[in-house]
Amino acid sequence: MGGKTWMRGIGRYPFLYLLALPGVLFVFLFSYVPMYGILIAFKEFNIRKGVLGSPWVGFSNFEFFFTTDKLLLVLRNTVFLNLLFIAATTCCAVLLALLLNEIRVKWFKRTAQSLIFLPYFMSWVVIGMLVQSFLGGMHPTVDGWLESLGIAPLNWYYEAHLWPWILTLIRVWQGAGYMSIIFLAAVTSFPDEIYEAARIDGASRFQMMRRITVPLLVPTISILTILAIGKIFNGDFAMIYAIVGDNSMLYPTTDVIDTYVFRSMRVLNDFGMAAAVGLFQSVMGFIFVVAVNALVKRYSQDSALF
Amino acid sequence: MIATKSDRMMTAFSWGFITLFAAFCLIPFLLMVSGSLTDEQILINEGYSLLPKGLNFEAYRILLQSGALLRSYGITLFITATGTVLGLLVSASLAYSIANRRNRLRHAISFYVYFTMLFNGGMVPFYILISNWLKLSDTLAALILPLAVQPFLVFLMVSFFRTVPEELEEAGRIDGAGEVRIFVQLVLPISKPILATVGLFYALIYWNDWFMGILFLSEENKFPLQMILRRMVSNLEAAKNLIPSGAGIALQAPTYQIRMATTLVTIGPIVLLYPVLQRYFVKGLTIGSVKG
Repeated sequence: MGGKTWMRGIGRYPFLYLLALPGVLFVFLFSYVPMYGILIAFKEFNIRKGVLGSPWVGFSNFEFFFTTDKLLLVLRNTVFLNLLFIAATTCCAVLLALLLNEIRVKWFKRTAQSLIFLPYFMSWVVIGMLVQSFLGGMHPTVDGWLESLGIAPLNWYYEAHLWPWILTLIRVWQGAGYMSIIFLAAVTSFPDEIYEAARIDGASRFQMMRRITVPLLVPTISILTILAIGKIFNGDFAMIYAIVGDNSMLYPTTDVIDTYVFRSMRVLNDFGMAAAVGLFQSVMGFIFVVAVNALVKRYSQDSALF
Repeated sequence: MIATKSDRMMTAFSWGFITLFAAFCLIPFLLMVSGSLTDEQILINEGYSLLPKGLNFEAYRILLQSGALLRSYGITLFITATGTVLGLLVSASLAYSIANRRNRLRHAISFYVYFTMLFNGGMVPFYILISNWLKLSDTLAALILPLAVQPFLVFLMVSFFRTVPEELEEAGRIDGAGEVRIFVQLVLPISKPILATVGLFYALIYWNDWFMGILFLSEENKFPLQMILRRMVSNLEAAKNLIPSGAGIALQAPTYQIRMATTLVTIGPIVLLYPVLQRYFVKGLTIGSVKG
């Protein structure tokens, strides 16, 4: 298409382009302008001197991060936690969808769905408050339950090794119901004829679930999993910071790239290093998403993101 | 049809597992409600329980008189209302433009928006943009403007606008309607369901957001609800900030009780609106999963 043709297009429908303008400007200001700020990663940033005025320092902002064991730690935590979240949430969501599909009593099904979907609407701060209320304090509520089961109480906020599992449980509480609705929507779209034929052949409900529903659901599961893996370098800042906060006892297992960047910036005021780590993450994330998308495309054209 | 033994077991297992999981989802909320009604001394000694012991409404009595809580409620309402209207206006216009075949730049604009979902400048440049270049620190604009265009929601609307039959616009054009009238009087009225869905998404994003607050707000009198809660999580004593001076607290401020009551008050509107929210969210999910 020549430049002239689209110029004439704008002339004919100016309103269409005017409509896009505010949105385009918003995206430019809040998403593209910060990309220019990436330069900070290569500078010894000084707020008074600004981005352009600060002296160039090459890759020295990256050096600190790459030469200490910090990189390995936060990278490992980010990936490990995300893998745990993906595995646990997906398994629970699939199981919930399969079992909800077995329930024929309408009111029970609807009530159960409402209840398991509700946590998704809570902010991470609210969840953080609940976690702290039930695991913290002088006599943690959960400890009371453990004692009645004959298990010794724990000082939760000192036991870093337990937190990946606690966070996973919280994640399942918050997200499995939401995800199960996506799977349930897929399950209800499967053709009745297959089930009818299986019933005539004398298949039990469990056999139908295992031999028909699960195999048919595999593409949806794979796509959602692959897409989630595309975002594996993005630590969930909102979740982890709301729950763990500045509790340094738990950093060894819960500090992810995003919380590390936040701290470097707000606590250490090391803008250059924080920007460098952020850039490293953005680049890794970008490469991963594009690679994963290529993979999805080969597998199923329709499910690719772009 | 005769239910076999295996089928009956399947049904029983389904009911059992779903009931357990639903209870798992519900229990924290029950503990919260009950905690907000339990006497402070009991909370300190025994922790939270499913049913309130020593029922009292002290926390709510204090919160009702708390100017600080009322102000932050107002701030959250203002941010949510303004943000939702702004986000909906800007996103719907952008989406309509991208979805329209007469727009010759639609692929370019679409990619321009999409790219921001793949790559971003990161937290540091964003922080410097808002606080140093735009000088929006400690303003509510910093909590509203950056969230106004959510690419995911824009594309949700694009996929809806694509389903609007072209004949509708054609008919309008034949009747002599301009592009503005076609959009405002023909397309928008039939788009109510998607506008409602996306509007609720925006409302939820603004109501629940605290990340912008933690980055850009330091003055406590500008804190929205989530920030008040956030402060209470990081500092147990912060609950006392909500107690008005004339509230007549005898010995000990009911800190634990206030924390739960404030949490409940914060999620209140979401729970009240939940039946509507749920319906539209499921709808949005199904549209979105067709192809975002």
